[in-house]
Amino acid sequence: MSTKKFYSKKDGKNMLVPTSAQKLKIITDKLQKSEKTLSLETVLNKILDFEKLKNCYGCGICTASCPVAKLLPEHYNPRTLLQSLPTGDEKILKSAELWLCAWCYRCYRRCPQSLNLPEIFQALRRFAVECGYMEGFHKALEIVRDRLPLLGSCCYVGFHPERVITNKQLIKEAIQHTIFTYKAVKRKAQPITPAYRDKVAIIGSGPAGLSAAHDLAKKGYSVTIFEALSSAGGMLRRCIPEYRLPKKIVDFDIMCIKDLGVEIKTNMAIGGNLKVNKLLEGGYDAIFVATGAHEEQNGRIEGEELNGVFHALEFLEKANMKEVELPNKVSIIGGGNVAVDSARTALRLGAKEATILYRRSKGEMPASPWEIKEAEEEGVKIEFLVAPKRILGENDKVTAIECAQMELGKPDATGRRHPVPIQGSDFVIKTDSVIIAIGQFPNTGFLPEIIEITKQRTIATDPFTLETSSPSIFAGGDAVLGSGTLMEAILAGKQAAFSIDCYLKGVTLGPLKFAERTFGGRK
Amino acid sequence: MKASKLSPKSNEDIRIGVYVCHCGKNIAGSVDCADVAEYASTLPHVVLSKHNLYTCSDPGQETIKKDVKEHNLNRVVVASCTPRLHEPTFRRTCEEAGLNKYLFEMANIREHCSWVHLYEPEKATAKAKDLVRMAVARSALMEPQEEAVVPVTRKALVIGGGVAGIQAALDLADTGYKVYLVEKSPSIGGKMAQIDKTFPTMDCSICILAPKMSDVGKHPNIELLTNSEVTEVGGYIGNFKVKVLKKPTYVTKDCTACGDCVDVCPVEIPNEFEVGLTWRKAIYIPFPQSVPARYLIDEKCCIGLGENTCAKCKEVCGPDAIIFNDKAEEVELKVGTIIVATGLDVFDPVSLMEYGYLRFPNTITSLEFERLINAGGPTGGRLVRPSNLRIPKKVAFIQCIGSRSEKRGNPYCSNVCCMNTIKDALLIKEHWPDVKIYVFYIDIRAIGKGFEDLFRRAKEAGVIFIRGLPAEIIEDRKSKNLWLVGENTLEKEIYTINVGMVVLSIGLRPRDDSGKVQQLLRLSKTSDGFFMEAHPKLRPVDTPTGGVFLAGCAEGPKDIKDSVTQASAAAARAGILMAKGKVTVEALTPKMLPEKCMGCGLCARVCPYNAITVDKEKKIAKVVEAACAGCGTCGAECSFNAIEMRHFTDEQIYAQINAATEKDADKKIIAFCCNWCSYAGADFAGVSRMQYPPSVRIIRTMCSGRVSTKFVERAFSRGAAAVLVAGCHLNDCHYINANYQTKKRVEKLWKKMERLGLDKNRLQLAWISAAEGAKFASKIKEMQRIVEGATKEEIEKTVDRMTPKKLQVTA
Repeated sequence: MSTKKFYSKKDGKNMLVPTSAQKLKIITDKLQKSEKTLSLETVLNKILDFEKLKNCYGCGICTASCPVAKLLPEHYNPRTLLQSLPTGDEKILKSAELWLCAWCYRCYRRCPQSLNLPEIFQALRRFAVECGYMEGFHKALEIVRDRLPLLGSCCYVGFHPERVITNKQLIKEAIQHTIFTYKAVKRKAQPITPAYRDKVAIIGSGPAGLSAAHDLAKKGYSVTIFEALSSAGGMLRRCIPEYRLPKKIVDFDIMCIKDLGVEIKTNMAIGGNLKVNKLLEGGYDAIFVATGAHEEQNGRIEGEELNGVFHALEFLEKANMKEVELPNKVSIIGGGNVAVDSARTALRLGAKEATILYRRSKGEMPASPWEIKEAEEEGVKIEFLVAPKRILGENDKVTAIECAQMELGKPDATGRRHPVPIQGSDFVIKTDSVIIAIGQFPNTGFLPEIIEITKQRTIATDPFTLETSSPSIFAGGDAVLGSGTLMEAILAGKQAAFSIDCYLKGVTLGPLKFAERTFGGRK
Repeated sequence: MKASKLSPKSNEDIRIGVYVCHCGKNIAGSVDCADVAEYASTLPHVVLSKHNLYTCSDPGQETIKKDVKEHNLNRVVVASCTPRLHEPTFRRTCEEAGLNKYLFEMANIREHCSWVHLYEPEKATAKAKDLVRMAVARSALMEPQEEAVVPVTRKALVIGGGVAGIQAALDLADTGYKVYLVEKSPSIGGKMAQIDKTFPTMDCSICILAPKMSDVGKHPNIELLTNSEVTEVGGYIGNFKVKVLKKPTYVTKDCTACGDCVDVCPVEIPNEFEVGLTWRKAIYIPFPQSVPARYLIDEKCCIGLGENTCAKCKEVCGPDAIIFNDKAEEVELKVGTIIVATGLDVFDPVSLMEYGYLRFPNTITSLEFERLINAGGPTGGRLVRPSNLRIPKKVAFIQCIGSRSEKRGNPYCSNVCCMNTIKDALLIKEHWPDVKIYVFYIDIRAIGKGFEDLFRRAKEAGVIFIRGLPAEIIEDRKSKNLWLVGENTLEKEIYTINVGMVVLSIGLRPRDDSGKVQQLLRLSKTSDGFFMEAHPKLRPVDTPTGGVFLAGCAEGPKDIKDSVTQASAAAARAGILMAKGKVTVEALTPKMLPEKCMGCGLCARVCPYNAITVDKEKKIAKVVEAACAGCGTCGAECSFNAIEMRHFTDEQIYAQINAATEKDADKKIIAFCCNWCSYAGADFAGVSRMQYPPSVRIIRTMCSGRVSTKFVERAFSRGAAAVLVAGCHLNDCHYINANYQTKKRVEKLWKKMERLGLDKNRLQLAWISAAEGAKFASKIKEMQRIVEGATKEEIEKTVDRMTPKKLQVTA
């Protein structure tokens, strides 16, 4: 159902809201069509596995896993939202809470009962839209605007309203409206003048760095971001495809941060001439390392050097700059979100066929289920239990991949069942291009030796204060996590800003306070 | 003779009484019983038809007895619940009235009708009439049978030497029966031997178990076979032949358990009894209280066996009890009854990666905790953190690890973990009152005698109970302390709690090798993987296999007290059989008709029991009655109609098919279901009130192997829209492998249907176990679409092509 016809422009502004008369019409139309009263409960029965919903034991694992619940504890609690559903209260449809799930699927992966919260909430969002209840959506945008940095990016790659509101124009206008009101408020306000003398250097201008800068600037510190590339934004700019996040939005988000008085120095790689220690000597009182995970696993597959073989991040970056052309058939190795993004981007660039080769089965795939679903709908093929052995080529050009069929053995240290090759099952897949997306890790080479690095090649930090083994240096985001979602990066940025603030003021809070702070605390 | 008087040929002599039961509102709620009874009175041979509130009650049974005498009835049909519940009851009633019990028939209008069509009273009533018509048609063809009496060997086999097996063996041995106790590991004792204290009384576990273990070792009536496995079970109730493989221990009975050998043995491997917390040697005694108290060599890691020549132990052995050329030995036992007490395994929490078991040294399982807190354990009872061997200041217990979860372990509640944790918490408080204890739970289940009291004591002692499971555990890299992050769901508040040690309260699960035991003894499993009892309420320790009983956690997770109670119950049940010394076997064996038999031997080839011998010269097949179990697969295979299956004759089944297809055949599914699995599965769907379309008519056979291709052809030639053949899962057949014949026959029919240009989808084959009610219901729903898709032309074509040519000629 198109939602468009039910909405009209109100007061000549850009925001679309249904008039109350129209709203009433939608509901009465619905009521006439269905014999029974159109209640939340009947919808739940229809569209959801309602009985299964009652299987929730209320263990709280979902809420405690949720990055949004940590960022917005007073606004969002997936467990209480889920448990309120069986009451069938229509208020739920109007609530902002319904729109605040950020699709990281952590709750679903950890839920003992496999309740698929993101998709349950999505079904209800769709129902709310069909009933004409858009209040929740608008309220949610306001909450995001008021509480989180990187407003535009959050709206686009965080909460995904487009997955239920088919009217793209409506979303665009709603988000833009929120952005405009944000701008109006911000521009009126006086630029913040630093209240403290302390200076903070942030290395990396991805979402973690930007949100730390946002919070620190607001607290009254002067903040400088050092970015190695020519423009700020980190993964948001480098690798998230344009179809998911228009680069104009990233520009806007960065502009908002700059408006707070944050200085961003691009083309300033740390290492080489400018060492971390020099920053400290040069007047910076604390450093936040938020360099992300941009290094790709190299030399793991024979034949990587052939023409037509790309590493995923490099490929996505080139695709964003429109510097790559793809031939007919593309094979993507890996099973994470980067692999799925690469496949979808490849199709958009004109590849006739994009096939993901993943060595485990669908249940173990780390990419988010919804991304997989969307990719499959777009025509991406996924071959499960297939592991590449080597890439074959002729005249330095890729022609095929030699693969082995796998079967799942016992669970390994990651808790997932370990794939084991089936003897003598080798086969060859013909392909014109290969994209390797088997994981990224942070570059830690530029850091002073005193900073401890984990076995996974990430920076070792205190889990709550984000302090590294060097007292004035903090680290967060993908540089610590290895890979994470936008919400986790924002959370890390905010966490770091809090710790740096405490550090610079000389406040010792004890780990428990930090832990509580990190995990949201009281609702 | 009476039998000849009752022969089906003299139709006018048959007098059938029909009783339609209301079962309170259970049947009458959706079936108009009065209407069904009235309809029954119009059926051929029915001389009397009644409906009453509870037919199985004393007055109900009295009515039947009175009517048999007054109205001279010679067949009784009761339309009520499943024959698996009350057939024995009504058969007894008939016998008391002077009627042979094989002249009784039941129509299942509760589990297969009223309960599964709760909201379609008209259709349910119509179906009930069909079911009664089928039962009446069959009953008219039934004949009196005489049951064979077989002796029961007065010896019992107990499989599994945990506390349940020990109790069962002792009870039977004390009663005076010879008992063989077979245990897979080198000592009896089971999981209870590893536990420190027992709840709710806080008794020392090994202190109360060890005397019982030694009683087993010394009992004159018990022959203990440790380090042994059952490899083969043949025979039947009262007369089992069991093969047991005694694995070599390389140490003779001369061993004095001095332990000199251990000191010199150079091989060290993780100690299983101590859950890998310490080491043991390749020559070892499982634990100090082991019964038999004898050392043994672990052949997997000893370096003195075979061509290697370590032999250090042999050199120091005083009594010269070590023999390197010890061989496995197979013994054959003849027993009358078998008690299965194979126990359980514990859940392995490695797959819950958020909790970091094995990654974080201070995350341990509850079984590891038992060994750490045990005075006889590797730390002498000091609860130390594995990372630094110090006593932790704070300990957290996490409940429901591997329990109550669709994907992280098992969906059921493991029954014992709540109380075990409370007991463990109190144990810590007893030794180290200052240790702060947190218990993270979803629900605390303290349902037994004295349990709530123990729970209260724990709270009084200061144990903190927090509702809400941790979402993750984060390890502090320096201190190796653990941060637990979760939501306190009562306070709607995120907690972050720092502790020195985390105990994962792991759940119980069926043993990995329970599938093997299941196949050996033809047992069924419930959906949770534990062995299924014959009836959950009234026969809780019996299995569907006659003469086999269950005890302990093999049947489901339970605590020590329940295991012991159940073991004594199983011993009593087995004792009843052996005290009687004989048992009657149902008269279901085949009757060979020598005048029709050509001696082709097909029946002998398909018989799972090798119970048919063929005399090549006389061209005649014979049945060895004692070996036959009555599956009927021979009857289905014979193409000369030379085998008549007692009580499940071809004519009786044809009569049921004909009666079922008398009206609206093109809207019906004829389902052939085996007694043990699929029929029971359909019963289970009924008990669970799973609703499915009322188009199916179920015909019961003992085994799906009884379903002859002729039956299916008959159903189609009568115009049935679809046919379902359902049996036990392959390899779970109650008649060894008879359902492989079912598979073959259905495949043959599919080919034939294809050849005849018919839609082979209309014949479906399904493997449905007794626990798979949902599968049965969904299969019928799925087949309803086939029924709706079958066109009139298609059905007419089938009728035409499926009708045997011979019949057409004679017609």
